[in-house]
Amino acid sequence: MRCRVVSHALALAGALALAAGNAVAFDPAKYPDWKGQWLRRGGVTNQATWDPDKPWGLKQEPPLTPKYQAIFEANIKDQMAGGQGTDPSWLCVPTAMPRVMLAVQPMEIVVTPDTTYMMFEIFSTLRRIFTDGRPWPQKIEHSFAGYSIGQWEDTDGDGRYDTLVAETRGIKGPHSYDNSGIPFHEDEQAVVKERIYSDQTNPNVLHAEITTIDNALTRPWTVKRSYRRLPAKEPVWSEYVCAENNRHVQIGPENYVVGADGHLMPTRKNQSPPDLRHFQ
Amino acid sequence: MQGRVLMGAVALAVAFAIDDGAAFDATKYPDWKGQWLRAGSGQGAPWDPAKPWGPGQQAPLTPDYQAIFEANLRDQAAGGQGTDPSYRCIPVAMPRVMIAVQPMEIVITPDTTYVMLELFSTLRRIFTDGRQWPKDVEPSFAGYSIGRWEDTDGDGRYDTLVAETRRIKGPHSYDSSGIPFHDDGGAIIRERISSDKANPNILHNEITSIDSALTRPWTVKRSYRRDGNNQRPIWSEYVCTEDNRHVRIGSENYVVSGDGLLMPVRKGQPPPDLRHFEQAQR
Repeated sequence: MRCRVVSHALALAGALALAAGNAVAFDPAKYPDWKGQWLRRGGVTNQATWDPDKPWGLKQEPPLTPKYQAIFEANIKDQMAGGQGTDPSWLCVPTAMPRVMLAVQPMEIVVTPDTTYMMFEIFSTLRRIFTDGRPWPQKIEHSFAGYSIGQWEDTDGDGRYDTLVAETRGIKGPHSYDNSGIPFHEDEQAVVKERIYSDQTNPNVLHAEITTIDNALTRPWTVKRSYRRLPAKEPVWSEYVCAENNRHVQIGPENYVVGADGHLMPTRKNQSPPDLRHFQ
Repeated sequence: MQGRVLMGAVALAVAFAIDDGAAFDATKYPDWKGQWLRAGSGQGAPWDPAKPWGPGQQAPLTPDYQAIFEANLRDQAAGGQGTDPSYRCIPVAMPRVMIAVQPMEIVITPDTTYVMLELFSTLRRIFTDGRQWPKDVEPSFAGYSIGRWEDTDGDGRYDTLVAETRRIKGPHSYDSSGIPFHDDGGAIIRERISSDKANPNILHNEITSIDSALTRPWTVKRSYRRDGNNQRPIWSEYVCTEDNRHVRIGSENYVVSGDGLLMPVRKGQPPPDLRHFEQAQR
């Protein structure tokens, strides 16, 4: 089976190499049809948990090292007390890879020969998964979307690609797996591997097997997520602008909010007001 | 010539009408792959690149909006932000985003041309699938765009993307000088985007704005350049909210200094009202 997969992959690669060299037809029939609008599917709770098969928070049972488990638990305590924990998204800092793959807001996938683009409404995140055969750059400018290289596989040997295999590096922090604040290591060396493919019986369901390798983990952590395609022929796309009407204000290490009356308010009991020494 | 253009357009339309998941022939479209940046000069990235920033733009504003523009310029000259909300990480919106002060990428598919702009991570979708204008569209900073391809020289290949954008959310301005749009949100932007005839690494965009704050439609010609030798450009991520030290409390703008303390942005600016803090009331 494996030899057949490899030989089909080579045959396809050859055909497309010839095609790409002279900018002739890109045959979308060779690629899965992932057009349209996708949203997250399934999950044991309504909350968008990283592992959709487990409840939110500590019950995600992330395989964290003792040090990062302590960070995680302290973050949960802070959230329970009304704080934001370690999740910076309240400041409109993007949720980053791999969390953006929760697709709590719609996503679109555009497949081209050299790059597969994934466009997420949330934080207007754009992922480029380069499938042009490039090697990993020696230096990657870190970003919340990370730097992704992928390749297509024809796993069933029918002459059509069906699986996009991608690897992402260079993910900027701080970031977490979901809003419970499961942390990544501060060294920003996480590697995220994905296998993305259509459901075998329902082309309007997409699966992503996502494995994270990170120094805050004791072992690689794999979750299986799914997405459903909405049926609208002309889907409605919204624009997510976090900074619009964001009432959180950070002054130094303190988080405040601006109340409906336009005045600054504390976010916890006995919080000190900002130091106003620079005002006359 | 017009007949020849029409026949060419019909031929191309027929070719794509039978595209029922069959091959997308990229040779029928211009090659706009790669990384584009604004071409030409223009200190301050003015909307009309042929004229200086600010009053020199000679925007054909109505008297009301000319007064708003001038008040905004005075505020900027005094150290304020004027009417431009982008300092608060509000996206610059169409058409200003097409100044392309940061790189842009264009991806052409049969149904949609995607314009991906690094600035504020703006994504434009220009729908070329023949759809009608929807009755109800939520305004957005990118607006809602419908376009069509034209083969203007009758050579059997599309060369010009003609697009119209409506439902642009405000407040927004043409450039950082704060030339304002009408607050009715009714602006229409029309573009004709085409490659330079002599240099395929230059793209031109004739952009016409029709807006109730203008006395007449206002057309500017902008250009973009591509490094044709760079097959693997570097893309950066623009995250305005990261380390943005502007803080808005009510109607006042402040900044957070390097020492993490709140600071005024103009002389004599009052500090924020701390009535909601127990400690401040002692």
